[in-house]
Amino acid sequence: MRRFSTVFQFELRNYVKNKSFVISTILIALIIGVVMFVPNVIDMSDTLGTSIEQTKEEDKEDAEDEEEEKSRYGLLDSNGYFADRSLLESYYEDVEFVNYSDEKSMKEDLEKEKIEAGYVVEDDSHFRYLVWNNHMFGGDATVFQQVMTVLHKQIYCQEKNLDFQEISANYDAPVEYEQEVLGKDASDNYWYSYALVIVIFMIIVMYCVMIATSVASEKSNRAIEVLVTSIDSKYLLFGKVLSGAVAAFLQVGIILATALVCYQINRDAWGGALDSVLNIPTNVLWAFAMFGIGGFLFYAFLYGALGALVSKTEDVNKSTGSMQMIVMLVYFVVLFQLDNVDGILIKVCSFLPISSYSAMFVRIAMGNVEVWEIAVSFAILVISTIGVGCLAAKIYRMGTLRYGNPISIKNALKNLKND
Amino acid sequence: MKLEVKNLKKSFSGKEVLHGISFSVESGRALGLLGRNGAGKTTTIRILMDVFRANEGEILMDGKTFVPGKYQIGYLPEERGLYPKRKVIEQMVYLAMLRNVPKKKAIANAKKWLERLEVAQYENKLLETLSKGNQQKVQLASILVCDPEIVILDEPFSGLDPVNSQILQEVVQELIEQGKIVIFSSHQMSYVEQFCEDIVIINQGEVVLEGNLDEIKRSYGKNRLVLKDTERTVEEFSEYCKQQLSDVLTVNGQTKEAVIVKLAEGKTRRELLEKILAKNIEIEQFDTYKPSLNDIFVERVGD
Repeated sequence: MRRFSTVFQFELRNYVKNKSFVISTILIALIIGVVMFVPNVIDMSDTLGTSIEQTKEEDKEDAEDEEEEKSRYGLLDSNGYFADRSLLESYYEDVEFVNYSDEKSMKEDLEKEKIEAGYVVEDDSHFRYLVWNNHMFGGDATVFQQVMTVLHKQIYCQEKNLDFQEISANYDAPVEYEQEVLGKDASDNYWYSYALVIVIFMIIVMYCVMIATSVASEKSNRAIEVLVTSIDSKYLLFGKVLSGAVAAFLQVGIILATALVCYQINRDAWGGALDSVLNIPTNVLWAFAMFGIGGFLFYAFLYGALGALVSKTEDVNKSTGSMQMIVMLVYFVVLFQLDNVDGILIKVCSFLPISSYSAMFVRIAMGNVEVWEIAVSFAILVISTIGVGCLAAKIYRMGTLRYGNPISIKNALKNLKND
Repeated sequence: MKLEVKNLKKSFSGKEVLHGISFSVESGRALGLLGRNGAGKTTTIRILMDVFRANEGEILMDGKTFVPGKYQIGYLPEERGLYPKRKVIEQMVYLAMLRNVPKKKAIANAKKWLERLEVAQYENKLLETLSKGNQQKVQLASILVCDPEIVILDEPFSGLDPVNSQILQEVVQELIEQGKIVIFSSHQMSYVEQFCEDIVIINQGEVVLEGNLDEIKRSYGKNRLVLKDTERTVEEFSEYCKQQLSDVLTVNGQTKEAVIVKLAEGKTRRELLEKILAKNIEIEQFDTYKPSLNDIFVERVGD
């Protein structure tokens, strides 16, 4: 144990005495801390949408729109449906409609960007939407569709001699409802779960490669020969991996804690604007910490073993590539299933040690999960982490004095078997 | 203490690289472990250090199974390297502490050895800022910090200038005098001759020569003589010996100044001398052949 702590301390000093490591931690924490205090100093109610006059988000958007120029749309209305512009104007507040009599001149103006889009009304239930470059979120046609729907109803009522106002009031009667959430409200927990899944993914990708590099560096600088003849290699690997893990959690912990604490202090000033990301319930934070640390260590040992398979630090990326793919895969699966946390895919993932760190965590945050499920998943994670740790120590021992080309995992396991 | 290596065999991926290595070394005596590149020296040392496990054979210390962890061993590998970005003293203390030396003692010993090897001024410098020779000395100092009972030096003199070699020679001599077991592997035969009483020559995974260096030299010189005459060049004399003296000797080779000959089966030196006198040769040198370790080495492991 004393030897382990010798290695651990020596390796940890590598990080905490590293100037760029210390400076980046302090700087990021400082910036986040300062940003959190900004609403106390500067009135940000406009940007945050928290001022009293404009509480509704729509108003805020309008306010922004007013500053811009009016959009110009073309209209080819050969039937004269829109002779009275009041219907159009009620839907398009800041749009100027330009009348065209033929399609050709409309297309020319579109090309010259005189107008942003053009509508060719064929009859009361058909129109064509002309646009030069279609944008990702160009949703103007749907608004026009609504206008046309109303127009169609109006014409129908006119033809049948019905009272349009009366029919629309009763036909489209607003139905009110109230929601009572008995379990967990996914819409509440969604954003911080999303954020934390990204955070843990980044921690694993960034810091595990750092650990793999630190393992490979001793083969690279040839210190390994003296080391393995001085001490059992499992102390070396465990010391390196755990010091890397502590350094990682120290850095992330400081930054995350600064963000959360400073936000809590200034929450009123922010008007709760960042609640969805930064107001995380304690039990979710605990789940994140427990499964995050477990999952990180699981991967850290694997990356450590992979680092031992190469003799130059330049080769680390080559060796860890396949592992990066697995981490990415887990990340995308969890992220894409975030609105389906009680689905079978997430359930399976929440028990696998390679994915439970984020899958089980989102289930705890947003889904239905039994206590025994959490316990079993955590036990699986802990046991497999210890297993991977021992395997990694063996691979490390075997790989340490084999120089030359990177050893494949398959060959490494084969060698282990033979030894 | 007596360390015995018995019949070590080792295979890597099915190919046997050591075919039964045996030798022994005692306290206060240095053993020269010699062999060409790739002969199996480093593998033997690594088995000794328990980095590899031998497929066969055993290692004994005073008759009992040798457990490297029970002894303080200072091992200077041929592939040098420490932490370039750490302070000299910091990594020396670390390496000593890995070997269970308490921190205070480790610091004191580290300072002592840095002083002894004349690199004390670099104590708080990063290793990478030192010259190659000084890095070598730091590495040597770092293996001595744990007060080793067994010292294994793999090519300790490579890369050192003559002054630094002198310092290192003195240190090695002191270690031997202090009664440590010293195993010394080098291609620089002059150093081996200077320090080692015993040698082992390994060739292609086999011991081809083992024993006391003086005895080996003597036995090599047995029945072999160096001859020189005043009138002819070495080449001419060598040719003359082959033609005129073939009944009492065979020509073995030549040095820069003299011809090396071997007495024919059953012939004595007296008979050779009588023959030389009878032939009226103006003999200038008639001496026992004393081969250098270099000659022995080349003869034993050369192609």
